[in-house]
Amino acid sequence: MPYHEFECSKCIPERKKHAVVKGPGEDLTSALPLGYLNTIPGTISERGCAYCGAKHVIGSPMKDVIHMSHGPIGCTYDTWQTKRYISDNDNFQLKYTFATDMKEKHVVFGAEQLLKKNMIEAFKAFPNIKRMTVYQTCASALIGDDLNAIAQEVMDELPDVDVFVCNSPGFAGPSQSGGHHKINIAWINQKVGTVEPKEITSDYVINYVGEYNIQGDQEVMQDFFKRMGVQILSTFTGNGSYDDLRAMHRAHLNVLECARSAEYICNELRVRYGIPRLDIDGFGFEPLGNSLRKIALFFGIEERAQAIIDEETARWKPELDWYKARLTGKKVCLWPGGSKLWHWAHVIHEEMGVDVVSVYTKFGHQGDMEKGISRCEEGALAIDDPNELEGLEAMETLKPDIIFTGKRPGEVAKKIRVPYLNAHGYHNGPWKGWEGWVRFARDIYNAIYSPLHELSKLDISKDEIPGDKGFVTQRMLSDANLPEEVRNSTTLREYTGKFDCLEALRHKTYPTFERKAAAVAG
Amino acid sequence: MDDLMKSRMAQLEDYIMKNCLWQFHSRSWDRKVQNEGILSKTMQILCGEPVANETPIDKCHWVDAVVLAEEFQSRCPWLAGMDKADVKTLMNALHERMDYLTIDGSLNLELTDQHY
Repeated sequence: MPYHEFECSKCIPERKKHAVVKGPGEDLTSALPLGYLNTIPGTISERGCAYCGAKHVIGSPMKDVIHMSHGPIGCTYDTWQTKRYISDNDNFQLKYTFATDMKEKHVVFGAEQLLKKNMIEAFKAFPNIKRMTVYQTCASALIGDDLNAIAQEVMDELPDVDVFVCNSPGFAGPSQSGGHHKINIAWINQKVGTVEPKEITSDYVINYVGEYNIQGDQEVMQDFFKRMGVQILSTFTGNGSYDDLRAMHRAHLNVLECARSAEYICNELRVRYGIPRLDIDGFGFEPLGNSLRKIALFFGIEERAQAIIDEETARWKPELDWYKARLTGKKVCLWPGGSKLWHWAHVIHEEMGVDVVSVYTKFGHQGDMEKGISRCEEGALAIDDPNELEGLEAMETLKPDIIFTGKRPGEVAKKIRVPYLNAHGYHNGPWKGWEGWVRFARDIYNAIYSPLHELSKLDISKDEIPGDKGFVTQRMLSDANLPEEVRNSTTLREYTGKFDCLEALRHKTYPTFERKAAAVAG
Repeated sequence: MDDLMKSRMAQLEDYIMKNCLWQFHSRSWDRKVQNEGILSKTMQILCGEPVANETPIDKCHWVDAVVLAEEFQSRCPWLAGMDKADVKTLMNALHERMDYLTIDGSLNLELTDQHY
């Protein structure tokens, strides 16, 4: 096994089995790190907790819900600005955050009545919102508060509301991934099948699962589905509606994006309701095109998908290639939380020309590493649950031009002058769809060729500051070594989309497709 | 299997491992079903044989198989020159190899968990 031992982690020998190098001739039977295990004492992990995984990743993107944390107020820190799962109902779920604000006295005397009071107050404060999720935290779990009983009392007193209880305290798993699992299973056990869909408008009905509408990704994909005449019955959970998600059992197909966070509910929907699971890639021109083709094939409407693929590719390929010409050969550390390590590993190499020199996952399982290692090129360093020192050592050794990661390791990277993009919340997303993929390429370009970043490499305490040179531009940096025909190409061009590419989608009119039943009746 | 066949199988394996997701379901029993369903249907498509897709699960395997067969045909022009028997031998070997990589030889400790 080609394990990689970090110098900084020699004092924690257990860490050795959490990193491998994909060498020549290596495959998954010889190169796979351990994963999804309890963090080793002594290593400062960058993971989140199981409550975070349940609430902040999966629960909270539901848009028409009061999300109530039953615990200390600090648990619900992540809200407006720190999370970017927007919605088309004025971002209710991001603008308002709710917690019962447990204190020491509640730990001693119990906090069930505090919870009930908060739930009723919240429903009264927002009379148009009739749905709530209550999240267990470490504090309320340890004192044994019965959330289900309180939820039932509130539903008895307020008959027009519905409450979902998510019992995933922070300690309920090795990482946030434990919380993903718990909320998936809790949702299908408690809620799926409890209502029928409001309206079936198409012969082709899907659940779009594992999609969190980061900066509008879901709305971009919804546009493609609407153009194909495919109805999204529910989205689990970005921009998703609570009652739509209770009716997931009526879809014909589960289309799964982030298998790390949501494969559980797809598997259960397959076992309990016979709905098949189709794993797709929503990122990158070719993977996205193939994904839409597969969905269309399933329903027998291939020509509708092909029309979208042709139109979008013609519109955006010249812009993607403009960036590819300037990004080819740049070294990337692909260090996201989970699924993006495999969603992006091959396609940023193929379509943007960058070289992935390392992949890591904070909370992924070995299954995620199987996908990531399969998709990246030889020589890549794969790390499970890295600590901060390992991240620093890897950057010093691999010398990447950029890393794609979260805010915490991203800020660490900046300190050693490595630019980073936020792989979780994005910089200028959405990054899904053809246009989104160009926006991602533009963000990479802007980060790597930032003149300000170049200036930051000078240390004013010891370096000589050149006073005889003017300010450089991005193009001066990126085009310096480009061949003339590329630099002055008349076919390639920079991104020409709008600052806000979602607004138009929200007011768009879509074609209507005759339904089979109507055609037969007619 | 001769060296030519081995190198051809490696090309097909490389395409699947780099571009597909269906082979990585989370449990051994799922992976067996996926590999069997998709690779046997791909073989039938490549050989011009009829493919069953009546049930939703079958149909889901079939769509992955259709796209896989198209990608194989466009990336591996030598496939067009092979007779049916050789295509079947190649695809059976590929199926065995995929089962080994993703199930029997896999180092993924979660594959045998009893629950999802």
